[in-house]
Amino acid sequence: MAIRLTIDGQKVEAQEEQTVLEVAREAGVWIPALCHHPAVSPYGACRLCLVEVEVRGRRRLVTSCCYPVQDGLAVFTQTEKVMGARRGVMELLLARAPDSPTLRELAEKLGVTESRLPKVTEAERDCILCGLCVNVCREVIGAAAISFVERGVEREVGPPFDEASDACLGCGACAAVCPMGTVDLRWHEGELEIVPFKNRVPVVRCRECGEPITGLPYAEQIRARLGEKLASAVELCPTCKRNAAALAQKKAGAAGRAYVHHAKTPYRDQAPCSSERPGRASEPGSDGPDRCSQGVRAK
Amino acid sequence: MTVSSRSTESREPVPLSAGRSEAGLDGRAAEAARANPRGTATAERRAGGGGAAATLSELQEPARARWDALKRGDQPIIWVGMATCGLAAGAAEALKAAEAELEAHGIAAHTIPVGCVGMCSLEPMLDVEKPGGARICYGEVTPEKAREIVRSYLVEGDPRADLALGTVGDVEVAGIPRLSELPMIAPQKRVVTGTFGLINPTDIDHYLAHGGYQALQRALEMDPEAVLAEVERSGLRGRGGGGFPTGRKWRSCREAHGEPKYVICNGDEGDPGAFMDRSIMEGDPHAVIEGMVIGAYAIGAHQGYIYVRNEYPLAVERLRKALADARECGLLGENILGTGFSFDMQINRGGGAFVCGESTALMASLEGMVGEPRAKYIHTVEVGLHGKPTTLNNVETWANVPVIIERGADWFASIGTEGSKGTKVFSLVGKVRNTGLVEVPMGMTLREIVFEIGGGIPGDKRFKAVQTGGPSGGCIPEEHLDTPVDFDQLWEVGSMMGSGGLIVMDEDTCMVNLARYFTGFLRDESCGKCVPCREGLAQMQRILTRICDGEGREGDVELLLHLCDVLDDAALCALGNTASNPVRSTIRWFRADYDEHIRERHCPARECRGLFRYEILAETCNGCGACRRACPEDAISGERRQAHTLDQTKCVHCGACLEACRFDSVVKV
Repeated sequence: MAIRLTIDGQKVEAQEEQTVLEVAREAGVWIPALCHHPAVSPYGACRLCLVEVEVRGRRRLVTSCCYPVQDGLAVFTQTEKVMGARRGVMELLLARAPDSPTLRELAEKLGVTESRLPKVTEAERDCILCGLCVNVCREVIGAAAISFVERGVEREVGPPFDEASDACLGCGACAAVCPMGTVDLRWHEGELEIVPFKNRVPVVRCRECGEPITGLPYAEQIRARLGEKLASAVELCPTCKRNAAALAQKKAGAAGRAYVHHAKTPYRDQAPCSSERPGRASEPGSDGPDRCSQGVRAK
Repeated sequence: MTVSSRSTESREPVPLSAGRSEAGLDGRAAEAARANPRGTATAERRAGGGGAAATLSELQEPARARWDALKRGDQPIIWVGMATCGLAAGAAEALKAAEAELEAHGIAAHTIPVGCVGMCSLEPMLDVEKPGGARICYGEVTPEKAREIVRSYLVEGDPRADLALGTVGDVEVAGIPRLSELPMIAPQKRVVTGTFGLINPTDIDHYLAHGGYQALQRALEMDPEAVLAEVERSGLRGRGGGGFPTGRKWRSCREAHGEPKYVICNGDEGDPGAFMDRSIMEGDPHAVIEGMVIGAYAIGAHQGYIYVRNEYPLAVERLRKALADARECGLLGENILGTGFSFDMQINRGGGAFVCGESTALMASLEGMVGEPRAKYIHTVEVGLHGKPTTLNNVETWANVPVIIERGADWFASIGTEGSKGTKVFSLVGKVRNTGLVEVPMGMTLREIVFEIGGGIPGDKRFKAVQTGGPSGGCIPEEHLDTPVDFDQLWEVGSMMGSGGLIVMDEDTCMVNLARYFTGFLRDESCGKCVPCREGLAQMQRILTRICDGEGREGDVELLLHLCDVLDDAALCALGNTASNPVRSTIRWFRADYDEHIRERHCPARECRGLFRYEILAETCNGCGACRRACPEDAISGERRQAHTLDQTKCVHCGACLEACRFDSVVKV
């Protein structure tokens, strides 16, 4: 059953169980958010997605990521109250992680040039405690290898007892959802490290070209799920996989050509022989995985 | 004869039977009960094999018989306040001394532990009741005094009017006032706390004898809808601080879709200085249980939880005993009182987080997850514990439910104000003479509470402000002391009633430091999930600390108010949303104090170290040298019997000189 509401006066239709943020995104209305990702349940921690909603004559500020749509709802995304609240939150975030490019870019969009506030909390590698890594690991991957520890300003994300976690699969989902570039994959000789969690897993390499593919525990889980017939999913790197597929098609007589492609893989710069040069896995502009929500690039 | 269970005004002794000594503390009481089980309601059940469900009268009869024998027997009774306040003050030692004295004189007496009467500053409190005679309440009873009292009153027949606080019950004594007429007690209306001090909280028979569980029986004879309607009509609003209409909450839960439904008691009382809920759980745990069973019946729940903060071990112990006894009597569990309604509950303890007093964080904690709140756009009455419809209410709210069912919604609504019905329990603490637990009708003014019940400010100091609502509330200055205390009227002067903590402050209290204290508390207790609370409180505390350290800057107050705005608008839960209140209210009413800190580096209350001076008054100093010897920095000099002087350049503002001086010659400037 369709639900009818308005966003900044614009009429939109929505489905039941949708949130205001989802509907706004579909309608092309921009609402900032850092702790939101379509793959993960809404968490409501960053407070940037605040909007004003009016229902039955009553208006209030709510986080659009958690607010369920209802018939007759009026949503306002650009009121003074909303902008003031967003800027206030942005200032607090900038104080916490003043050097973060993600925050600087977002701040500019919100009209905040700098923070009046000093840095009073410690942020490990610009972590803003959005919870995406924790939530994706628990909810989507099912490993729960990392969690929040401590409370309040002492809060951090880490593995149990601050030691490398056995539960980590090395799938890299945490790095994929992190909006700040805090969580990252670091390739060592034969090992994949999830920074800053100290989790390390052995690496599975492409049986054709030797490129590292992913963490071994993760590959084994996929293999177990997909069965032997689809083992190539975790035995070949993306390039070799494409080549193998094209070759198979050609053999089967389908139109098309063998397509040998030496495209830059995201981790080529991180090949084992250059393990003495650890660094960020992805560069801006690369065709690496988009590791940030709403397309805001990590460094 | 009618049994009124809840109000001290109309208390009549209820006929009971078969006295036996119930020694001392809970554990001992329980042991005594096991050792000497004959005649108790629980024992009758056990004897009968606990088979068919008991009717209430089957439980009441032995209970009343026991009480009768106790009160009309030929043994004296020693009643001792054994709540945490009493125990902390030394009640156990006083009792031991009393028992030793009794033994020395060969007197056999009953000793009964009771809850907190509310006169906490006078603990330990020990009452001695002569068979057929007066029950006299004594305060500040040391072991020495205990022996003296036993000797004087029981052996020599002298009630010791010089040591007595007042008489309890009908028998009066010349020269001793009635306890209920004391200035601290008389203005109160002890509805929920009425049984405190009169019953042994670990003995279900005492509760039964005073009309306990009659409300439950009545409710179970009504339709659940009718029970709910009665609570709605009463106008009861949540006593935990939110003030949400209880009947409306119950109705929403009843109408919500989802099974099973749950009821929860929020016993995670976290406001510093508040002990209303602790006193209720320690003093009359059955009232809470009875309320929850009635509520579960009205809502359609069959499982309940009492979430008690781990820092209340005595409350947990007493609740455990009460639950066990209630189950044994068929008042909890399967087929309650033979009506076919089943309901049971368990106790869960908190892990030491203030934020777990927030309903969604509490439920997360109950589910075994980190106590973190979530957005409440979908209410917990619809999606709560385990995603099911859940009714969470505060301890005091639940304790009001039996009263409402027994005495009726109309009676309840006749007390209080238009918008706030009934009474409210407060913990009155701070710079006030009569600190303790008080219960007053809604609408009584702050002035009455602080100056009549509270006895005013000790040491002839001037009243400065009273903080209501703890870290979520604000301070109220003298000019608004005539504000009636209720949910709505305190709001208008920038505070809120909160859960009932009332902290009185005098001229020596620095309001900026007060704001810093509460902000620091909240910063430590913040769960850390949302940005405004986690980062905002840390920023606010940093600013307030700078101000108190004499490093305040022009613009700090404005920045604080800005951060207050961000918290108000953007924080996720009530901890963050109300965190601005102490800061805002102190700025609103005591802006001059802030300005003096910032512009003059001076603390008008002379509390912030380094922001005031110590000086020796030459006119009164007699040169005894005590301050000179006490000073760790050799900043004081002077000849014997000559007025001493303090070198300000060496002074580190430790205050040792002030403490050492016995002639009031060191002053703070």
